[in-house]
Amino acid sequence: MTCSELRDHYDLFAVGVAEDPERSEIRAHLDRECPVCTPAVLGARELAALLATTVPAVQPPARLRRRVLAIAQPATSQWSWAPLWAAVAAAAVIAAIFFNSRVHRAEAELARAQTAAAAQTRELARLNLAFEILNQLESRQVVFGAGAPAPPRGRVFVHPRRGVLLIASNLPPAPAGKAYEMWVIPRGAKPLPAGLFQSAPDGTALHVWPGPVDVTGGNAVAVTLEPEGGVPAPTSQPIVVAAL
Amino acid sequence: MTLLPLWLAIEIAEDDGELVKRLQRRDARAMADLYDRYGRLVYALIARVVRDAAIAEDLVQETFLRVWNRVHAFDAGKGGFGPWLLAVARNRAIDYLRSAGGRMRNALELQETDHPALFSDFEKDLLNADRVRRIKSALERLSANQRAVIELAYFEGLSQTEMADRMGQPLGTVKTWVRTALKSLREELGMAVPA
Repeated sequence: MTCSELRDHYDLFAVGVAEDPERSEIRAHLDRECPVCTPAVLGARELAALLATTVPAVQPPARLRRRVLAIAQPATSQWSWAPLWAAVAAAAVIAAIFFNSRVHRAEAELARAQTAAAAQTRELARLNLAFEILNQLESRQVVFGAGAPAPPRGRVFVHPRRGVLLIASNLPPAPAGKAYEMWVIPRGAKPLPAGLFQSAPDGTALHVWPGPVDVTGGNAVAVTLEPEGGVPAPTSQPIVVAAL
Repeated sequence: MTLLPLWLAIEIAEDDGELVKRLQRRDARAMADLYDRYGRLVYALIARVVRDAAIAEDLVQETFLRVWNRVHAFDAGKGGFGPWLLAVARNRAIDYLRSAGGRMRNALELQETDHPALFSDFEKDLLNADRVRRIKSALERLSANQRAVIELAYFEGLSQTEMADRMGQPLGTVKTWVRTALKSLREELGMAVPA
């Protein structure tokens, strides 16, 4: 379709009520950075964004701020061991300074210790979320690969609001430049990317994807092997499929 | 309890571009500033859509997590951060409604907010007080049916067919209301109709 045929549909597209074929056509024009449709849709999105500001004022609870800030500093607010790690890191740095007069070496130690502490706290936050999904009564468990001798085996735990936890074995380390990508596939719709992960040298893997998940029947969780930067849609056959 | 206007937090804030750069540097304090600037509006928007305070809290957290994870793809110099954040928030809320109601997800919308660059080049003062006042005024001047379809589309994520079913009106009539409402809002805001 031509741009002029689409002009009456830009606002509908931005508000989310455009219908096919116009919706798909606009999408295609945007994908090829059409010089007519791209700025026009931006203008339509301005209108849509302004509609958000018309909602009545509501005061969020104070705890919500703490929850949001925990995203950037998950361990300090969600896991009590984090200060311990920080203390260990600080102690290591102090010892390094005490026994080594070269300041630049101490600074390097500090950087390494902080990096290690940050990695540990991120991992603890990830495990915290995994335990949270495991412990919720609403979580559903789906087994995949059972009975198969060599392919990946494991379980997927899905919570409608908390997210997806995948635990697998027999999943060989991805080749160089590749990573495993998980997908949540709503029935009859396109797969939605649900994060990249790598398996351990022994073939085990634990991957957590936070966020609401549609757990209705007919939906599925899948894993494909993709470029390590991730892709917006699967480019290879699934290695794991867990039907919900 | 006195509530300040929602736009005030945005109006008095520093430039979004600087905030985006700090978020991209993974500055934890930037997340606090981001929440202080947009948290109330995001919460109000999501609460309006899902009408459940507990669910709204979860979805607000999900919204900021998504922004934190994808902010690296944003061009801080081009503006449009606020509209992108609001689009992410709305889509998380609409997606929840669709999931809870067994309705089809709009995969296109979800993909779009995964690409923040598509929201660049907005006017940097898009969410200023004057424009907010004008959109509210424009919305109030719509007919009841026109206002209803805009609210059903934007805040409940209904398709035009679903709106027709909900309102018991012919699909053609609903489509006319939607088009005329959006055209009126554009005119009231002084936004040019696409050439």
